Amino acid sequence: MDEFEQELRQAMERRPAPPGLKRKVMERRRRAPRPQGNALWWQRLAATVVLAAAVGGAVEWDAHIREERQRGEAAREQVLTALRITGHALNQMNAKLAAHGRAQE
Amino acid sequence: MAHDWQPDFEQLVDEHQAMVFSLAWRMTGDRGLAEEIAQDVFMELDKHLPKMETAEHARFWLRRVAMSRSADALRRRRVRGVDLWVEMEERHGIKLEERSSPLGARLEQLLTTLPEAQRAALVLRYQEDLTPEEIAATIQAPLATVKSNLQRGLKLLRAKATSHLKEYVRVKEQLGGV
Repeated sequence: MDEFEQELRQAMERRPAPPGLKRKVMERRRRAPRPQGNALWWQRLAATVVLAAAVGGAVEWDAHIREERQRGEAAREQVLTALRITGHALNQMNAKLAAHGRAQE
Repeated sequence: MAHDWQPDFEQLVDEHQAMVFSLAWRMTGDRGLAEEIAQDVFMELDKHLPKMETAEHARFWLRRVAMSRSADALRRRRVRGVDLWVEMEERHGIKLEERSSPLGARLEQLLTTLPEAQRAALVLRYQEDLTPEEIAATIQAPLATVKSNLQRGLKLLRAKATSHLKEYVRVKEQLGGV
């Protein structure tokens, strides 16, 4: 280290902090809002409740969709059965009409 | 034992307020701003206090955050070093003659005219006595960049000092001739 660097080192010695710096910092620290233990506990509880509600809602919605689908399937089956019965009845009616027509001839 | 160390906020402020304030002042050249930065740095330390593992860790953290917040403040203000020093003299009544050494005072003035990266490297090297490796870790820059900034900053400062300090050189020569 040469003379110039020695001078530079001396010139760059730490300066004393302003007299009120520590007091101001400690005052700001006292005024600063601090997360309390209870507040943290309530925040965690609220987050858990919200999460549980979201999961519960999703499960409920899924069950609702599944139930709707099952009802749709049952209704479709009923319609198909009704259509089959109606078709069968129409076929019988046609057969009877055909037999009656042949008897008149 | 490092694990037995418990951070004491008030003690950390006591121990490091001069360091944090000096770094901020030398980087910004503004005493009032440096005090604000120092306060902010310690408030940030308060939030991170549980994460401080050792006294050395706390000192390293304070240096890093002080440099970072000073750089942020400089970017916000966009003020050049020369103007900062003029502001330092005019607003805070700091006279060059009050310093112990005229060369030291002039060097400090000239330091504020260096590019920010070079100034940061020199401040950490000569105020904090850090090695280039420690400086690189503190300002999170590549070691090669830090070494380059140190060399260029020192060279530039020396050149500025040579051209600006003719009076000092003359006095030194006179003293040498006696």
